[in-house]
Amino acid sequence: MSTSDVIVAVEGVTKIYQQGRVEVRALRGLDLVVRAGELTALYGPSGSGKTTLLNLIGALDHPTSGRVLIEGRHLGALSRRELSHLRRDRIGFVFQAYNLIPVLTAYENAETVMALQGVEAGTRRRRVGELFAEMGLEGMEDRRPDELSGGQQQRVAIARAIAAGPAVVLADEPTANVDSETAERLLDIMGKLNEDHGVTFIFSTHDPRVMERARRLVRIVDGRVDGDGTREG
Amino acid sequence: MSILRMAWRNVWRNRRRSLVTVAATTLAFTVMVLYSSLVQGYLVAMERNLLDLELGDVQVHDPRYQDDPSLYSSIADASELLARFDAKGYAASARLLGFGLGAGADASAGVQIQGIDVVRDRRVSRIYERVKQGRWLDPGAPHEVVVGSQLARTLVVKPGDELILLSQAADGSTANDIYTVRGVLQGVSEAVDRVGVFMTDAAFRRFFAFPEGAHEIILRRPPDMDVDAFAASVRELAPNERVQTWRELAPTLASLLDSARSIMVVVFLIVYVAIGILILNAMLMAVFERIREFGVLKAIGYAPGQVLLVILGECAMQTLLAIVAGLLLAWPGLWYLTRVGIDMGKLGGMAMMGVVLDPIWRGVVNPSVFTMPLVTLVAIVGLAAAYPAARAAWISPIRAIQHR
Repeated sequence: MSTSDVIVAVEGVTKIYQQGRVEVRALRGLDLVVRAGELTALYGPSGSGKTTLLNLIGALDHPTSGRVLIEGRHLGALSRRELSHLRRDRIGFVFQAYNLIPVLTAYENAETVMALQGVEAGTRRRRVGELFAEMGLEGMEDRRPDELSGGQQQRVAIARAIAAGPAVVLADEPTANVDSETAERLLDIMGKLNEDHGVTFIFSTHDPRVMERARRLVRIVDGRVDGDGTREG
Repeated sequence: MSILRMAWRNVWRNRRRSLVTVAATTLAFTVMVLYSSLVQGYLVAMERNLLDLELGDVQVHDPRYQDDPSLYSSIADASELLARFDAKGYAASARLLGFGLGAGADASAGVQIQGIDVVRDRRVSRIYERVKQGRWLDPGAPHEVVVGSQLARTLVVKPGDELILLSQAADGSTANDIYTVRGVLQGVSEAVDRVGVFMTDAAFRRFFAFPEGAHEIILRRPPDMDVDAFAASVRELAPNERVQTWRELAPTLASLLDSARSIMVVVFLIVYVAIGILILNAMLMAVFERIREFGVLKAIGYAPGQVLLVILGECAMQTLLAIVAGLLLAWPGLWYLTRVGIDMGKLGGMAMMGVVLDPIWRGVVNPSVFTMPLVTLVAIVGLAAAYPAARAAWISPIRAIQHR
């Protein structure tokens, strides 16, 4: 596999938070490389640094030291505007609490990133239509988030995350707030997107079902990679 | 999904708060438009009264007159000057000014006597419109005079009564004669109301034995000419006389008129700052209760400027609603103020620095009646919304998403 396949490279990253007078070392010199098409699950105990790592990869936060690179671009060297564009064009987010925009319909939520990119309306409509059909969201287009179930909201969030064709989708505990059946369905969808369309996913999770579906498991303990294994087939 | 459409939907997320904000802004804008109309109406009336009834745009005097306003400080070649002004197409009329004693049947008082070319004077002054009782001067009735209302009360005279005038004529002899009061003036100026006696120029010349010259020439500028340029032109035509604009003749009033608009803007600011605080509070609440949402917007790729636009868009839409509602509300009020007005006569009338105003205080409608409250409102609202919008736009996305 060549270096051009590397989507995410985390190099010796530390992250220290100040909580009052207490210094919290969330990440301690962590290294990680994620390649195109991987479906990676980050797991480990609470407070091990999984979410912190996702936030750094997603350009939502800055490391205290070390480097994070997305497709070879060092995030620390990018301006605020460039980071906005990077998040818009190359990174998709799926949050634990869905975080759909409440004043937008399901369709508008799903198309919003493409609209920001300036994608033409017809293309957006076709793309969102395909994704909604794939995810079983037909007929939900005009519903507002508060008119959707948790599972439906999370599917819309996934559609929003992948509609614009990002290099990587970061999903923070995507099944934490849904029932087992919905969780299975969401994992089916994400697995299919990974297999059929080569979408790269990085999950943070405690959920054994997610770990079962992941092709690569990275165990994080005390802010370091404690284990990194690939599942064959 | 356009940012503005999102902003519009956000306006209605908290319907009650938005309605209160819009209602308060509407009320402030309506009141400011009506206030602006009334104040500008007041200023227009004041300037019009000052210029139309008393001063004209420019006056010409003998250079000695201001320091020594006597019968002898006169413009000797007044007729020639008038001919020059006529040739130039300027509206001009000479006035003759003298002082004396007026007496009715039981009372007497000091008076200022003005001799007027009745026909010419109509081109420079609308004083004839202020006859409250009786009629204005008639060149064919040289023994009839028009007096100020306060003087009429002091001397206890009314139209048809006799008035005795006594003074010293230009030749040193005693000037005295009996006249009939033809009319009573009201609402010209405090000075005219208190001591003014108007007669024809022919009657004045006979009374004061003053065959030639004039003490004052009043001129009105052409509509397309600036008052200073007009005065300069008049100076060229009357190089030996003292030419002054109305601003030089009444500097305090001129600066009062100039500063009145600034005072109006200060009042706008005071009222609008209160509205600005309300908007600031509403926008701060709207931003802080949605801070997590702004974090999500930034996470999915909204640039700070786009988040700023969402919030400023919300504020702009509320302000726009308030402006439209305010204009609709102000419309009947403006109609009433311009057509009917407020009857200040019932409240004892209005006067400012010697200038008596119309008993009916009317508003005016012109573009600045709307633009001044509008510009001030938009500026204050923009300032009030800027801080919460900037906070939301430049907050770190992770801090916003983790906000509790």
